[in-house]
Amino acid sequence: MNNRIKEYRVKFNLTQDELAKMVNVRRETIVFLEKNKYNPSLKLAYEIAKVFNTTIEDVFIFE
Amino acid sequence: MLEIINLNFMKKGFLAIGVSLLVVISVGFWLFNSSVSLKSVDLLQLLIIVLLIGFGVFFGIKRLRSAKRGEPVEDELSKKQLQKASSISYYFSLYWWVFLLYIKDKVVLDTEELIGMGVIGMGVLLVLSWIILRFKGIRNE
Repeated sequence: MNNRIKEYRVKFNLTQDELAKMVNVRRETIVFLEKNKYNPSLKLAYEIAKVFNTTIEDVFIFE
Repeated sequence: MLEIINLNFMKKGFLAIGVSLLVVISVGFWLFNSSVSLKSVDLLQLLIIVLLIGFGVFFGIKRLRSAKRGEPVEDELSKKQLQKASSISYYFSLYWWVFLLYIKDKVVLDTEELIGMGVIGMGVLLVLSWIILRFKGIRNE
């Protein structure tokens, strides 16, 4: 599974730290997600999509 | 709410660091005051114990830093990493114990030494699994 978190984060002018605080996870988790080293839970995927005002399938690409 | 939870985790972090340091200091005192000459195997065991305690201190400091930054000290990734590392190390520790039982008859070992090696080996396997997962990541679960 790939994702567009970094792309959206840059678009929204957010740092990894800010995004982490907004979705209540550690910065390290955002780093892992951006590097595609971790697949988030449905709850976290939903929280991230909500921050970017979009849908889960738009941020996370299932292959 | 997050601050209260973080405060509790900070206390736990301080406690973990305090206990680890006490163990290191006690071992240090015992080493300097005892007249028992240590074998190289004992020194190796001691070195591994110190490394494991060092890892515990590192873990505690990491938690404290997260708490100070105002972010959760534990989240779904860190919990998953620890759970996965525990399950992998448990699996491999079974083979470690089988190996120890196998060599027990071939090498002269006291029961205490055997149990000590088993427990230390389990600790090392846990740390190694955690480190590997940190580099490899957790995907497609």
